Amino acid sequence: MLNKYSLQRFYKGWQIFIENPLGKTGVIILVVFMFMAIASFFVPLIGPMYDPMTGIDPDIRVSTGPSLTHWLGTDNVGRDLFAQLLEGAKVAFIVGLSAAFISIVIGTLVGMVAGYTGGLLDAFLMRTADIIMVLPSLVILLILASLFGQFNIWIIVFIIAIMRWPAVSRVIRSQTLSLKHRPFIEASRVAGASHLRIIFRHIMPNVLPLAFLYMTFRVTAAILVEAALSFLGFGDPSQVSWGMMLQWVWKSGHMFQAPYWLIPPGMCISLLTLAFYLLGRAMDEVLDPRLRKEGQA
Amino acid sequence: MTKPGYILVKLVEVAVIFFIILTALFFLFRLSPGDPMSKMVDPMLTPEDMAHLIEQMGLDRPLWEQYLIYVKNFLTGSFGFSFHYGEPVSHIIVDKLKWTILLFTTSTVLAAFAGIFLGKIAAWHKGSHLDNVMSISALVCYTLFIPWFALLLLWILGFKLGLFPLGGVLSPQLWVGNASLLVRILDVLHHLMLPLMTLFIINLGSYLLLMRSSMLSVLREDYIITARAKGLSEKVIRNKHAAQNAALPVITSVGLSLAFSINGGALTEQIFTWPGIGKELIFAVSNNDYPLAQACFLLIALVVLVANLIVDLLYAWLDPRITY
Amino acid sequence: MTLLSVKNLSIGYKTKKGLLKAVDNISFDLEKGLPLGFVGESGCGKTTIGMALMGLLPENAVILEGSIQFQGEDLVRLTEKQWRKVRGAKIAMIFQAAMNALNPVHRVDEQIKEAIITHQPDMSDADLSDRLNALFDLVDIPVARMKDYPHEYSGGMKQRVIIAMALACDPDLIIADEPTTALDVIVQDQILKEIRKVQQKIRTGLIFISHDIAVVASVCDRICVMYAGQIVETGTKKEVFTSPRHPYTLSLLGSYLSLDNLDDIVIPDMQEPPDLLSDIGSCRFADNCRVCSETCKKEEPGWVQISATHKAFCCEPQIIRGSHGKN
Repeated sequence: MLNKYSLQRFYKGWQIFIENPLGKTGVIILVVFMFMAIASFFVPLIGPMYDPMTGIDPDIRVSTGPSLTHWLGTDNVGRDLFAQLLEGAKVAFIVGLSAAFISIVIGTLVGMVAGYTGGLLDAFLMRTADIIMVLPSLVILLILASLFGQFNIWIIVFIIAIMRWPAVSRVIRSQTLSLKHRPFIEASRVAGASHLRIIFRHIMPNVLPLAFLYMTFRVTAAILVEAALSFLGFGDPSQVSWGMMLQWVWKSGHMFQAPYWLIPPGMCISLLTLAFYLLGRAMDEVLDPRLRKEGQA
Repeated sequence: MTKPGYILVKLVEVAVIFFIILTALFFLFRLSPGDPMSKMVDPMLTPEDMAHLIEQMGLDRPLWEQYLIYVKNFLTGSFGFSFHYGEPVSHIIVDKLKWTILLFTTSTVLAAFAGIFLGKIAAWHKGSHLDNVMSISALVCYTLFIPWFALLLLWILGFKLGLFPLGGVLSPQLWVGNASLLVRILDVLHHLMLPLMTLFIINLGSYLLLMRSSMLSVLREDYIITARAKGLSEKVIRNKHAAQNAALPVITSVGLSLAFSINGGALTEQIFTWPGIGKELIFAVSNNDYPLAQACFLLIALVVLVANLIVDLLYAWLDPRITY
Repeated sequence: MTLLSVKNLSIGYKTKKGLLKAVDNISFDLEKGLPLGFVGESGCGKTTIGMALMGLLPENAVILEGSIQFQGEDLVRLTEKQWRKVRGAKIAMIFQAAMNALNPVHRVDEQIKEAIITHQPDMSDADLSDRLNALFDLVDIPVARMKDYPHEYSGGMKQRVIIAMALACDPDLIIADEPTTALDVIVQDQILKEIRKVQQKIRTGLIFISHDIAVVASVCDRICVMYAGQIVETGTKKEVFTSPRHPYTLSLLGSYLSLDNLDDIVIPDMQEPPDLLSDIGSCRFADNCRVCSETCKKEEPGWVQISATHKAFCCEPQIIRGSHGKN
């Protein structure tokens, strides 16, 4: 599959992508956050005081502002806010990428099957998608949390993924429909290829770029929902995340006194969302030539 | 299909979807760990009251009968008794619903109008400074994390500058005093400002971006050249031929983003202690008040479905190409 | 009396790779109330001329030189505000219906009405509705369907409405750019008849643009053949058809003439026209020309006047005559 032609196409796509100021900004922000996420593995090594969850500065009992030992200050029990912020970056990536990945796997499979088979199965899958699509995922997570108790982070990821596949499947389905009657698919059907082979060998490579485009948008959604859930106090209690930090500053009554605590986590969530959004928009332009700069006849 | 026929089909669709959600919730309650009885009946009640409630909800009957009673109870509006308030749930939520609807509709409608208007201007001046400033601000608004933004507004406008009350819907002194209706309304509006501003700004960002890109693609359509060829003024072309067409997909997306808005609405209500359904749901979930949580959830689902229906009908009414 | 006189018009597009000269030094005249056809393959600049006559060139287009005299005004010098008084009122355009030329969310009569109201704001409602009825009558659409939306019309009806829209303000010049291209053959025929009928009835000037020389010939008595941004031959329909002088015209006719005429016409495999980004300085058709001589590859050809109405832009027009002169 990776011949010279597709490499060239990839290179060309990358060029359009990186020339785009939006895409460039997105990539830069993303790289910064990746460094933060990587750094989160090393910070606790400095000393037990810098463990984001359990590290407590023995000299500090109240929330303090930025200092040399604690760059962003500490929370009300003396934990280092910067260490928490780095840990939050890691969690955001894990949550965002894994939830988005699961949801595009489900969405792509459902979309391809629905589009390829058509008929009743198609109708059933798409109606299911419609129903899930109108449901507010945070509210669903809340009601589930009330019934099943606190979730750990992986169950949250999985539920978010389950809530987020429908939009992907719709797009993949319509793409599959348009591919279904292309000559190369017809030809392999005539040649006796099985349905599975046609779906995975011929349709999937053609819908995957689109699926990845959608993945960038899903990442954002997953990060936001997890953050909101943690913020409301229904997140994984054993995990530090940006949402959790906001929950702590809010619930401990420090939000009017500790801007050094209130501002960073929310800004990180917003910036990471922005980065993935910009990335998606720029990828959109690579995949859809109509959106490129006009006036170049 | 005729217009009433179309509306009927849509209504049936909404009813079916709601019924599916209702059923799913019933089974979720039975599937969850622990005794389902303890989820519907307040364990703090006296044995007689308990027995009465169990009887009323048919919790001692076989599953299928329980289900039928559950549906019947729902249709007659009895959701059981709240553990926390000790009152019928229906009394509590009806009171909350009006506050949610007030906040939700004003923010959505205002943001949609403003977003369509500003998106139109931005697209029309594509590439100008005005466009850049508007698009980038919209992008920032759109990606803001709602609770954080709400807390910032609360901190700056409410706490630091003291322009708005920090929460609630009515000042305490007005609960008891015999203030005039006008004073009460003004006070509610004063309380409404911060949550409204939060939701308005965030929705505005997404609608502005949508309208801008929709408008840009409409401006490439041939009928825009036709309009120019007729000698129409630029203003007529912009407002009548481009913006009207471009607004249609934005209206669809208002429908599609309702779920997102409801999430944001719940968070906003929680932060500003706005006594709506979303805040009530969060409260119920935190306090294991299952009957209340269930009712709030169903009501939110109903609000989403009805709002979706309204958007669908609005779209069908605005776009002549929709065949019923 | 001359209605329109285009002199030495050159139009370029600014592109990433440089200036693309889509129209190069074109001159022609149009008499009042007569049709004139432009024919050529896609990319030859014919649409650019049409858009220049409407003042609707895309943003990256520049008029490099030349003038467009129309009713005593040079259209090249008009401001946008002045243009708006011309467009639709004095010069109107018939677009291709298949190209979404009608706004899908407005009723058909409304779209025509606004063209009239824009230029005649004082018209009374009664006059306006009379005018609309007359227009729908003229293009043979039942008045009862006036209030429909465009998607409720067939392709042929949409095209008629677009014609009616162009006629709305009684323009002196109509530009029709490929008005029948996407229609099926029978409808195409009806629309062409319609255009011809209307043109003769209201005696308006018409510039008819198409890639199909047969279509052009069915409407216009005078034809300009274009190739790679230049007019290469112009003459009456009869002259162009029976004694074409430019090899390109001949190859265009080759794709049209009936089979028994084909014996003495050899159609070579055509190569792409030359790249219009660079200065060419020789005959642009040279690479495709079967009578091409050494001069053709070195020099720009000049105009050769064959009769009062017929001329060709070719270095060797006599040779063609020799090869095709039998009939």
